[in-house]
Amino acid sequence: MKARFRAGDRVRVLHLGKAGHVRTPFYVRGKVGTVSELCGYYLNPEDLAVGNTGGPVIPLYRVSFRQHDLWPDYHGPAHDTLSIEIYDHWLAAE
Amino acid sequence: MTRGYHDIGGDAAGPVPKDELPWLHWEKQVEAVRNLLGDGTRRVISLDEMRRGFESFGVDKYASLSFYRRRLEAMIDILIEKEVITREELDEEIAAVRARWTNVS
Amino acid sequence: MSDLHGHDHSHEHSHDHAHAAHPPLVAEDEAGNIEGQIIIDALQNILVRKNLLAPEEVTQEIEKIEAPGLHLGAKIIARAWADPAFKQRLLENGKSAAAELGIKVGEAQLIVVENTQGLHNLICCTLCSCYPRSILGQPPSWYISKAYRARTVREPRQILSEFGLDLPDDVELIVHDSNADMRYLVLPERPAGTDGWSEEQLAALVSRDSMIGVAKANMA
Repeated sequence: MKARFRAGDRVRVLHLGKAGHVRTPFYVRGKVGTVSELCGYYLNPEDLAVGNTGGPVIPLYRVSFRQHDLWPDYHGPAHDTLSIEIYDHWLAAE
Repeated sequence: MTRGYHDIGGDAAGPVPKDELPWLHWEKQVEAVRNLLGDGTRRVISLDEMRRGFESFGVDKYASLSFYRRRLEAMIDILIEKEVITREELDEEIAAVRARWTNVS
Repeated sequence: MSDLHGHDHSHEHSHDHAHAAHPPLVAEDEAGNIEGQIIIDALQNILVRKNLLAPEEVTQEIEKIEAPGLHLGAKIIARAWADPAFKQRLLENGKSAAAELGIKVGEAQLIVVENTQGLHNLICCTLCSCYPRSILGQPPSWYISKAYRARTVREPRQILSEFGLDLPDDVELIVHDSNADMRYLVLPERPAGTDGWSEEQLAALVSRDSMIGVAKANMA
C-alpha cells in the first residue's frame, strides 16, 4: 500500500468505530493535525491482535496536533503540540 | 464510537505516584516467557495479542491488577483462547506448584 | 511488599466499590508476589512440557532483558554531546546510530528528539507502557501509572511541575505519545560548564528522567 500522505499534509483522524485492539487513542479521533513524517511501513496491529500475521505492511506517520486543538481547557502557550503515530487508514486529507 | 477502558489519554487523575517499585523475578519471567513465545521461531503470542488480552478482560480486572500481573493474565487468556493450553491443565499445575511452595516454606 | 497506596491486595477482594477510585498504582503485596511466581512457574512448566520453551532459554532471556539500563542511554547521549556529526546521525536514525556504539535497539525504530533552550520534548504512552526497553530497561512505575498516562498528553506543564521542572511559556513543549512502532529517547540539553569533558564524565550527568523528558540533565 502506497503512502497517501507526506510531511506537511493536513490530515483528519477518522472515527473508524472499530471494535477490538486499535492503537489510535480516542483523544485524537476527529482531530486535525499535520503530518510530520512517514515513519515507515509496519504490520497492522489490529490484525496482529487476532493472530493475523499475513500482512500487508501499511504506512505509519507521525502527526502533530496543536494542544489547543485537542483540549478545550489546555493551559499552556499556543505553540505547544502533541505528536503521535497514526496508521494510514485512520487518516483522511483535510 | 468505541473507546477501550485502557484508552485513558486525557482523563482526569490524581498526582503522579513517584514511588518506584522494584522489578521482581516473577515479573521478569513473565516478560521473558512472552518474548520467547512471540519470537520468530514460535510466533505463539504477539505483543498485540497480549495487549488485546488485557484490553478485553474487563475494567475492574484491568484497574485492580498490578502491571505485570495484568500481562500474565492477558497472556494466559490468549493462550487458552488459542488452545495452546487449557484452563484445567493450568489450574492443575498451579495447584501442584503451590503444594511444593507450601512444603518448602 | 508494603501496600504503598493503601491497597491491601487480596485476590478475593469484593467489588462492592466497583467503580470507585482505583488505586493510583497497584503494587502486589507479599501474597500477590508469591501468587504471581506460582502462576508463571506453572505456566512455564506446561509450556516446557509442550516443547514450546526450554528453561535455559527463559534464564537467558531474563538476563537479556535485565542487561539494558541507564548506562546505555547515557552512553548515547554523551556521544551526541561530544560529537556533533554523531548527533546528526542520531537524530536522523536512532537505531543505526546506536548500533555504531554497539547498542542494539530491539524495537522497530528509535526516534531521538532534541531538547534545546527553546524546545522541550516529553515522552509518554497513554495506551500501555511503550518505552525504549532495549536501551533503558524497564520503565519506572510512575511512567506506567494511570496518572502519568492520562494527564501527560493533556496537562504536560503541570506534570513537569510535579517533577520539579517549571517550563517557561516561551519554551515550546512537544509531548510524544509513543503509541505504535516507534520508541523515543530525549536528547537533553548539554549542561553548562562541561566544555572539554570526556564522554565518561558527560555520561555521569545523564539521568533516566532526563531521557524521558521529566527532568533536565544533572548540572556539572
